[in-house]
Amino acid sequence: MEGSMTSPPQPADGALDLPTLEVHGELDLAVAPWLRDQLDALYVGGADSIVVDLSDATFLDSTALGVLVGALNRSRERGGLVHLVVQEPQILRVLAITGLEDEFALHQDRVELQRRKGEQ
Amino acid sequence: MADEDLIEGAVRTAEREVIEISIPGSVDLVVLARFAAATIGARAGFDLDEIDDLRLAVDELSVSFGPVDAETRLRYTFLRDGDAVHVRCTREPSDEESDGGAGHSERDLIDWQQARELSAQLLDELVTRHGREIAGGRSVAWLTKQRGTGAA
Repeated sequence: MEGSMTSPPQPADGALDLPTLEVHGELDLAVAPWLRDQLDALYVGGADSIVVDLSDATFLDSTALGVLVGALNRSRERGGLVHLVVQEPQILRVLAITGLEDEFALHQDRVELQRRKGEQ
Repeated sequence: MADEDLIEGAVRTAEREVIEISIPGSVDLVVLARFAAATIGARAGFDLDEIDDLRLAVDELSVSFGPVDAETRLRYTFLRDGDAVHVRCTREPSDEESDGGAGHSERDLIDWQQARELSAQLLDELVTRHGREIAGGRSVAWLTKQRGTGAA
């Protein structure tokens, strides 16, 4: 499995104050069940919004995207958002083709995410 | 000419070549099909975006079969025909022949209905044409991608 890391909720003076999952490598059927488990863990504390940092992800297929959509539905039920940090053109293309680019909150990097959150 | 006939009857020339790989139904081996797709896409003169699209499209062919166990094999046949690539992914044994029982393990955790819907959307955009059929009693998912076409 590709490398990956989960981080607990970050303190307010950190880069983010939302539960965050960092993933890298190729997100496909081999990784999708693991991804679902990791996202489930982010909601255990009652979080409504989460961050999935795909900065180091290079591939996203329909099975992994489906897992992200599951998280999106879960956040929406709680009145929250799923923030995706993503730069990889192929992943952005997958989101555009499936009409999901406007459903997730997309950010080029964590600095942009932090700035946008600060503006809210 | 149907893709199946096109591949079966292919004579290898400088413009045409066939690559076949067969992998067990193990989730971490589909990467081999993606690698083959990238290689043959490059040999067909695809640009980088088109190669990325072909890699993803070939991955999505396996998704169309839903959960498969370790007893199942996925046989991929790639035909490079000039500036087009034809890919057929055959499930062996077929759905009917498989016991459909134990061994799906983590694949069972996937929402396959949703994955298939997303997969169909992706394939519509990534390739020139694609489809499913039964050939020789086997389930087959296929695609064709022409260089310089598609939304890449």
